Amino acid sequence: MSTPLVKLEKVSTGYDSKAVLRDVSLEIHPDDFIGVIGPNGGGKTTLVKVILGILPLFKGRVTFPSGKPKTGYLPQASQIDRTFPISVKELVSAGLKAPNGWFPRLSRKQRQKVNRMLEEAGLENLASKPIGELSGGQLQKAFLCRALINQPQLLILDEPNTYVDKNFEQELYAWLKKLSPDKAIMLISHDIGTITPMVKSIACVNGGLHYHPSNQLTEEVMKVYNCPVDVIAHGPIPHRVLKTHDS
Amino acid sequence: MTELLSIFEYQFFRHAMAAAVLTSILAAMIGTYIVSRKIVFISGGITHASFGGIGMAFYMGLNPFFGAAVFAVLTALGIEWISSRGKVREDSAIAILWSLGMALGIIFVFLTPGYTPNLMSFLFGSILSVGIAELQLLLIFCIFMALFYLVFYRPVVYSAFDPEFSKIMGIPVAFYRYIMAVLIALAIVISIRTVGIILVLSLFTIPQITAMLFTRSFARIIPLAALWGIIGSVAGLYSAYLFDIPTGAAMIFFLTLQFLVIKGIFLIRGLLIRTAA
Repeated sequence: MSTPLVKLEKVSTGYDSKAVLRDVSLEIHPDDFIGVIGPNGGGKTTLVKVILGILPLFKGRVTFPSGKPKTGYLPQASQIDRTFPISVKELVSAGLKAPNGWFPRLSRKQRQKVNRMLEEAGLENLASKPIGELSGGQLQKAFLCRALINQPQLLILDEPNTYVDKNFEQELYAWLKKLSPDKAIMLISHDIGTITPMVKSIACVNGGLHYHPSNQLTEEVMKVYNCPVDVIAHGPIPHRVLKTHDS
Repeated sequence: MTELLSIFEYQFFRHAMAAAVLTSILAAMIGTYIVSRKIVFISGGITHASFGGIGMAFYMGLNPFFGAAVFAVLTALGIEWISSRGKVREDSAIAILWSLGMALGIIFVFLTPGYTPNLMSFLFGSILSVGIAELQLLLIFCIFMALFYLVFYRPVVYSAFDPEFSKIMGIPVAFYRYIMAVLIALAIVISIRTVGIILVLSLFTIPQITAMLFTRSFARIIPLAALWGIIGSVAGLYSAYLFDIPTGAAMIFFLTLQFLVIKGIFLIRGLLIRTAA
């Protein structure tokens, strides 16, 4: 077993004095691809904030056994002000961290790095455009570039498929698949069906956290939702079975 | 034409012209941040709260600008603190500070014995009586602000755009936000001299939204907003002289007119392109 990048031990946290997560334990290993699912308001984004270290804990602890990993983060689209006057190039370079935390003007080498990243994402022609002129998919790609440019060991994506069309979603998942061998990925989605085929394990977050070391959706996973969901059955031919509602 | 130039023989007019230009440049640098972060209402609160400091300084026989600066900075820090905690409704808190400042100002001015001759100049500005010391202060602030952006442009913009991500990247977001709050407060107080408390915010917003018709890059909005600010306020200053109307109001009128004309041209152009297609 490899040393985990991040280790959460019996973490409780929330906002003001209201707990959103209770007694949550989780380990993220260097080659993990974890799908985080759960209902809205269940604490998926709160979990991300705990891992990123931007939310104080009520109880428990978060440790980084092999030192704080380089982390790339794609926030939820709703958190972003799309009218802010910032260009795609400026957005992506926000992910470049100078070794001492100082943010001087970009060096030549850093500018080249930004350009290469944009080329990889097929956004090179939009580099100088303000983010407000991009489509939903293009914008998510730009945010993914910002998350990736510092070559993170851990990549956290919070609902990357909101406001994007199906084509882009396929493109995004293909990209993640390509990236997954050499970094830990945590993919948050309320769309349980789409993410399960690609992830290696599933974490269900609904106040607490249930970890499933495989991507098979079981009855236990379903219980977290308490409502009808699309279930993907894994077989030679992928197909969907719609589960009936109990109540 | 000679009449237009002859006014430059007067020192007060040369000073007024310099003040209009420098204030426009300062307002372009600070206002771009205000408009981008959508904190115009916050800045309105800071501006009006500073009147409390002016009133108190009058009453205590101190320099009114000193009083305004203290009140403005404290209000700015207070609002930034309230909004970072996210517990009190921010807009309500601003409204309270806004009107409390005005109320304190009125009370203290009322209590001050005798006539307060400068009061109107704080409310409506008095660019024609700007002295050399004030111009120097404006110039120093402009240079400082330009250097500040030169060094801290990226962390300032990133902290404004996406504070959460910036925090993860190790930028001391709260530090930059508080620094900018203080700079906004001081820039507003210095600019009160030009157009007065009631109108000052328009210098920090109208040239910026005019510039944003042309570009959506923070770095490019600044010089363009400075240019539109200078053109509008100089035109206002001249017309105030020609038609014998109040300078502050004339400047704001021209800045707004300029925005509407340019916006109109853009709308007509868009319409023509659409009908041609």
